Amino acid sequence: MLEAHGLSVAYGAQTILRDVSFDVAEHEFVCLVGPSGCGKTTLLRTLAGLTAVSSGSARFKARSIDGPQTELAVVFQDYARALLPWRSVRGNIALALEARGIPSAEHAGRIAPLLEKLRLAQHADKFPSQLSGGMQQRLQIARCLAQEPQVLLMDEPFGSLDAITRQELQDEVARLAKDERRTVVFVTHDLEEAIYLGDRVIALAANPGRIAEIVTIQLPRPRNQLTTREDPRFLEYRHRLYRHLGH
Amino acid sequence: MGALLPVLVLSLWEALSRAGVLSEDGFSRPSRFFVAGAKALADGTLLVQTAQTFAAAGQALAIAAFAGIVLGAILGLFRPLERAASLTIESLRPIPSVALIPLSLLLFGFSRDMSAAVAAFACFWPILLVTISAVRSVDVRLIEVGRLLGYSLPNIIAKFALPAALPAILVGIRVAAGIAIVVTVTTEIVTNPRGLGFAMTMAAQSLQADLVWATLMWVGVIGYLLNWGLERLERRWLRYR
Repeated sequence: MLEAHGLSVAYGAQTILRDVSFDVAEHEFVCLVGPSGCGKTTLLRTLAGLTAVSSGSARFKARSIDGPQTELAVVFQDYARALLPWRSVRGNIALALEARGIPSAEHAGRIAPLLEKLRLAQHADKFPSQLSGGMQQRLQIARCLAQEPQVLLMDEPFGSLDAITRQELQDEVARLAKDERRTVVFVTHDLEEAIYLGDRVIALAANPGRIAEIVTIQLPRPRNQLTTREDPRFLEYRHRLYRHLGH
Repeated sequence: MGALLPVLVLSLWEALSRAGVLSEDGFSRPSRFFVAGAKALADGTLLVQTAQTFAAAGQALAIAAFAGIVLGAILGLFRPLERAASLTIESLRPIPSVALIPLSLLLFGFSRDMSAAVAAFACFWPILLVTISAVRSVDVRLIEVGRLLGYSLPNIIAKFALPAALPAILVGIRVAAGIAIVVTVTTEIVTNPRGLGFAMTMAAQSLQADLVWATLMWVGVIGYLLNWGLERLERRWLRYR
């Protein structure tokens, strides 16, 4: 469904990504993991159509990606910058509906289930500045879902949240991806998070960014924060991928 | 609390005037100019003059805000355009607005438009410059979100860039509102036979010092009220912060 083929990105003389090739199947949950500076965010941005490819190609449904398209939604790490502070929770979600030209009479009916799903129903009329970090990130995810994309591109979405909130949101995203049958590309620098969430983990190496290893994760779903992380195979994957993180 | 200083000054003034230290010809006396002001208010002349000045200043502010925000948004978003326009902007901006009075008189005659045109010129620059810098400093992430959601450029400007820049733009408008009053009154003093500026000129020519002072203070009061109103509006629009 999504593919990178010999993809390279360079800024001037600096090569950020070199010859990256992989594909993502429909309904698959793929995690991109790597040390900082390995270009994983850049890779995600090329898939989103926000960063241009220098050579090679990025394709969505066999069509070259040359700009943002609504089938691909992006969840940014810095939720505070991605939300409109002057719009309420409801208003931020409505933004995606307005963009799709959905008549405003239908907004309430479409927003309510999303608020429910992301546990924001009691906060519908608050402004982002009145929400906790975890709630703001759930709001950003709700807005992306309102876009009804086929693919969710998530850029270290839980990187700035505390450990407990992060685990909650990991389970929520895993459930959403499964229930709604979305394809997810999930960037993280947290190896355990990548193994916990992914059907496959793509490990990147730095300088220049390139693929180090692709591992298929054969852990049963639904996964569990305790038992999955204690599963011997989980630890095995962790051992195997750990060296790619610059250790 | 803030009223303490003016009350103190006026009381001292009254006392010095009664003691004969301050000449009544020029300085009048607070008790007198309150009477003169009340009389002018009561017979409606002051209100008519205020309406004339306000209408001209309001027209100037509306024109300047519209032109300044639209042009500022465009120049703020497109760097090359701003570079191309900067020579023009920087050579027009230093022209004293009052230097346009003769030209404006030629174009519009003795009219509200004449004052409004000069004041609009003065108000345009701060609004333009504030809008350019506010739009330019809008977080690129917001623009990206707009693109990802599928918005067209005009919609990104209207729904993302301008609301994000609004707090700064509103400060620019508040500054410009003060300038609008100042310049409008100036044009009325210099040539235009209408409004509060003209009222002061006429009162001075007929040696009514009390009325001159009364009008002057009235200008201060309406300037204060204008700023207060705009600040409240700002707070309402920006209550999300």
